Amino acid sequence: MNPTDRSPNIPLIGAIKNSRLAQRRASRTEESYVRFEIYDNVPLHIRNNDSPVSQTIPKFQWITNMSRDTMFCSKCGEGFEPQEKIVNSTGQLWHQHCFVCAQCFREFADGVFYEYDGRKYCEHDFHVLFAPCCQRCNTFIIGRVIKAMNASWHADCFRCEMCNLELADTGFIKNGGRALCHECNAKVKARGLGKYVCHKCHAIIDDQPLRFRGEVYHPYHFTCTACGVELDANAREVRNRPGLAKNDTNELYCLRCHDKMGVPICGACRRPIEERVVTALGKHWHVEHFVCAKCEKPFFGHRHYEKKGLAYCETHYHQLFGNLCYSCNQVISGDVFMALNKAWCFHHFACSICDQKMTEKTKFYECDLKPVCKKCYERFPKELRNRLRRQHEASTKRAPTPVE
Amino acid sequence: METAPSSVSCLPHTAKMSKAKKVLEEAREIRNPELDLFDKGVSTFEEMPGLLNMTNVTRLTLSHNRIRSIPPGLANLTNLEILNLANNQIQELPLSLSSMPKLRILNLSINRLDTLPRGFGAFPVLEILDLTYNNLKEDSLPGNFFMMQTLRALYLGDNDFEKLPPEIKNLKNLEILGLRENDLIELPKEIGELSRLRELHVQGNRLTILPPELGNLDMASNKAEFRFEGNVWVPPILDQLNLGISHLQDYLRSEAYRITYNRYLTNKPPVPPPCVDKAKKISRLR
Repeated sequence: MNPTDRSPNIPLIGAIKNSRLAQRRASRTEESYVRFEIYDNVPLHIRNNDSPVSQTIPKFQWITNMSRDTMFCSKCGEGFEPQEKIVNSTGQLWHQHCFVCAQCFREFADGVFYEYDGRKYCEHDFHVLFAPCCQRCNTFIIGRVIKAMNASWHADCFRCEMCNLELADTGFIKNGGRALCHECNAKVKARGLGKYVCHKCHAIIDDQPLRFRGEVYHPYHFTCTACGVELDANAREVRNRPGLAKNDTNELYCLRCHDKMGVPICGACRRPIEERVVTALGKHWHVEHFVCAKCEKPFFGHRHYEKKGLAYCETHYHQLFGNLCYSCNQVISGDVFMALNKAWCFHHFACSICDQKMTEKTKFYECDLKPVCKKCYERFPKELRNRLRRQHEASTKRAPTPVE
Repeated sequence: METAPSSVSCLPHTAKMSKAKKVLEEAREIRNPELDLFDKGVSTFEEMPGLLNMTNVTRLTLSHNRIRSIPPGLANLTNLEILNLANNQIQELPLSLSSMPKLRILNLSINRLDTLPRGFGAFPVLEILDLTYNNLKEDSLPGNFFMMQTLRALYLGDNDFEKLPPEIKNLKNLEILGLRENDLIELPKEIGELSRLRELHVQGNRLTILPPELGNLDMASNKAEFRFEGNVWVPPILDQLNLGISHLQDYLRSEAYRITYNRYLTNKPPVPPPCVDKAKKISRLR
């Protein structure tokens, strides 16, 4: 019989209460650093490095060498008969019938016992009487016991309620009745403050965060891909493959380098344009930022009118600058006929020779940027037509074809 | 219709003439103030009896006829706003025309005018004056020609101007100036004072240099149309023209051009000969 010692060596792990960190944590009301206890509840022959046999054999030898007269049972105080088996455990001796469970008085199966308050118990009774039960899986805890949140846990069962990380070795923070790892706690706290938590250092980002590959960071964790300068929040994430915002080929550039990369900058918001670009007024614009200077509605590809470096929608251009009709010299209120660098009231557009109304369907010729209907043009002196044609050919490299 | 006035009874009753009279009849009936009498074969106003009494008329279009002279009585049409006499054979205009109180648009293009009557520039509200394709030159303009402050567009293309009088600057509201295919040797620097000018046609002239003052005008705006082709420009101007109108404008404004221009002024380039043979112009016909 190789009885093994299993004095429940119960260590206590507590917070270092005099550190500044501990004091800060203690001052918080919402969450508090919870001390928790861990002790080993492992059968001792497992904990012992020496094999029980090699440990006990010399002890028996030592026992046989001693005089039986001077040895007494630790329990009943009687001596031992010659040839009687003596149980030796941690230097104490027992009759075999005295070395039994304090609860059921039966011998220990395989010599495994648990000691509590100076008494020894078999495994079953120890569990029933004293062993902790895991809060999570509701089974007895053999081995490491985590005492936390007013309960006991298997080390394996005590995990962060958000990310399921094992907390036994890292410690935890109680937050609103939940046990959280430091990282999740910081996240929860930051969310409450409307701030982000750096994906790299897990600290709250007090200033502007830097978004990169779908996460947020302190900008100072990164340097510019091109010039190597430490980044600030103005850094730009450049998508090498357009589309997904979260893209692991994305790279970070400082604003200076980014601007030098030829990405067009919106004339309104001064930010780079990565989608459709509108080019007008000598600048580039986000489609939604190219707007009427009066009503500020985007043109979205509709016609715009330019005046003194500003763009206007049709309504407001006419409202503000009133295209004057070439014929009546009045502001055109209804439909406008635009041609030959001029504007007409829709019903005032007519041939400059015969004064007959023309529509947008009528083909007409141009003479000194005046409209001339086909019939009238054909009645022009032939030599004039020849010269007009030659001039057209010289200036526009094409014959005076009817313009619509 | 059946009874022609006795004074014109000797005229042949051609089909065309009847057409003109028919138009007048109809217009009188429905009180139409806009008269379309173009291409009616009309030679004289006598073929259009009663016309000069139709004082309600606001537009009179007589283009593509064979009219040689305008009766002073036309000025009776005091409500006339648009008078179109394009493509006729007019050699002379009555002085009275200039007094028409509402005339805004006057088209005299493709006629045979050698001169304009004295006091022609008295039009009170004239906005568009089209004198394209006549035989006018600077000497044929009356002294008050440039007093027409209401003028927005002045078309003088296909005429015989060698110089444009500096008084052009008085046409403060001028937006369009047509001088295509004249014999212009130079443009006056005063043209730079026409601040509203946005259309200038000087193609087919004998111009070599431009006054730097022209650079004052907004030639490169998208509403502007400045046409310079077919002249004998000095190389620096030709180079800029080839680059584009905005380059020319920048160049005209530059100090470099001012120096170049002054050098050309003291050392004038030879005046090119008249380049267009205008003998074939029908405006020359007599």
